[in-house]
Amino acid sequence: MHSLTRILPAVRNALILLLWGTGILWLAGSGRLSTYLHPSLQPFTVAAGFLLILLAGFAIMGLATMRRETAHSCACDHVHHEDHGDDHHGEGVAGMFIKALVLVTPILVLLSGNADRFTTTTVANRGVVQDLAKLPSANASAAKAAAKTAVPEASPLKEGGSMPLQVIDMLYALQMPSYREEFEGKDVEMIAQYVPMTRGNPKGDRFQAVRMFITCCAADAKPVGVTVRGSAIPRIPEMGWVKITGKPTFPMEGGKRTAILEASKVEPCDAPTEPFVY
Amino acid sequence: MLSAPWFQFSLPDFQYAFLSILLEGAPFLLAGALLSGILEEYLPPSLMTRLLPANPRLAIVASAFVGLVIPVCECGIVPVVRRLLRKGLPVSCGITYMLAAPIVNPLVILSTLAAFRGQGALEMTSLRFMLGIVVAVAAGLICTRFAPFSILRPGILAPGEGEHHHHHDTDPGISGRLANVAATATRDFLDVSVFFVLGAAAAALFGTAVNQEIILPLSTNLPLSIASLMGLASVLSVCSTTDAFIAATLTSFPMAAKLAFLVFGPMLDFKLLFLYGAAFSKRFILMLALGLFVVIGLVCWRIGSLNLAW
Repeated sequence: MHSLTRILPAVRNALILLLWGTGILWLAGSGRLSTYLHPSLQPFTVAAGFLLILLAGFAIMGLATMRRETAHSCACDHVHHEDHGDDHHGEGVAGMFIKALVLVTPILVLLSGNADRFTTTTVANRGVVQDLAKLPSANASAAKAAAKTAVPEASPLKEGGSMPLQVIDMLYALQMPSYREEFEGKDVEMIAQYVPMTRGNPKGDRFQAVRMFITCCAADAKPVGVTVRGSAIPRIPEMGWVKITGKPTFPMEGGKRTAILEASKVEPCDAPTEPFVY
Repeated sequence: MLSAPWFQFSLPDFQYAFLSILLEGAPFLLAGALLSGILEEYLPPSLMTRLLPANPRLAIVASAFVGLVIPVCECGIVPVVRRLLRKGLPVSCGITYMLAAPIVNPLVILSTLAAFRGQGALEMTSLRFMLGIVVAVAAGLICTRFAPFSILRPGILAPGEGEHHHHHDTDPGISGRLANVAATATRDFLDVSVFFVLGAAAAALFGTAVNQEIILPLSTNLPLSIASLMGLASVLSVCSTTDAFIAATLTSFPMAAKLAFLVFGPMLDFKLLFLYGAAFSKRFILMLALGLFVVIGLVCWRIGSLNLAW
């Protein structure tokens, strides 16, 4: 009985380490880690996945030798370094199961397949940012610098095609007249998430094209977005990905300049490989 | 007038934020646990006390700077402190190190400088660093007045005070030592992860379900803006290495409120509230939370009242 109370927590620990490590590596292998973390943090998490599996390996080896070690006992029956500490002094059977339940919960959440994007609830609770000054400053500066160089190099007008444009480009142009001239009135293509407009949309011909701006992980995401206006907006699920073809405009509305993409075509599309903007 | 209700819950959003926080924090927690395993196996029990000044007050002050040498962010600090306490580090020094390390940390100093570029970066970084040290040292000094058993969870005390201590006469060899490091790291990682999972759940709940517009009207009142940004820091539970980038965007809030955000958050956010449970008694955590809120709030209020040009 005593050895069982020692072996069960050890088995549980090995299994949890294995599950957590496998879960992380599965996310990384399937490319889904990028839907949770900033690219600069992903290597750390992947390394943690490998280390967790390594620790699980040590834990399994420890299990294999546990029986042999129990033969060599001391006054309180724990004989090996692993047992020093409070593990088997303070953790009763109930505590053991509660701990297991808590630690398995993230795996259950992951397996639910329900946790890979925000709904409009979080967008409403965080508000859609249209002022770049409200985005993390250093990154906004980086975006500014990137945008300056990106337009002529990365967004050439293809023959008969449209210029690819990011939500953040339009927001930057909103504040910078010289940058605005680069693409105002030209045909552009934008990929973003669909958020219906519940206010300021009396004719029902507007929605918001939103991207999530993150600093380190999805939990700190700030929605950034521009208004899209179009006569034929198809039925699209909330937060579904859309490709919008149209012309950027920057009219004055309610006494301030706004960014509105006049859409000629709106169609559902697949999520991009990089769902966030940084 | 809020554009949406103050509280709207969405299970998928909660789950998504919950997993994100765990995936972000797990590597740092694991690094802390591995460091804890290495300390357990290789750090002689008397070394900590030999390295620190003999004078208890000076030892507390010195502990506030240990983060410059052993830089650990707030996710990884709890297993390290637990292990150092077991190795004989005085509780007051452990608490000082724990509170200061996520701020007194080279990476955090650099990220704060970068984030506040053009917004009084040097002033904000210096004040964050100094206030972090002052508050951590004050907390450590206050803790010397309490018995360790009233501060710590049972079983956390150093060998001889609360648990058995065994000596192995034979050298376990490199593989044996590695196995010992792994075993200690595993135990610490899983022990602390229980609290981390609960903390991540709390942070995810508040981060996704509470309408963040509710704090905006508070930005024009100095004490309320300070209190609300300390609350926001707790809710967001952002790592101290990147929280400055968030704080710098809160343009409608006074700098003193942002300072409170940057000092209070790394010392006591929602996930930490639970993580501290892996080492400290509930009563102590409650007292610490109230004390930090009041002291940091008052100091930042005073700083804000000075109307510094920054």
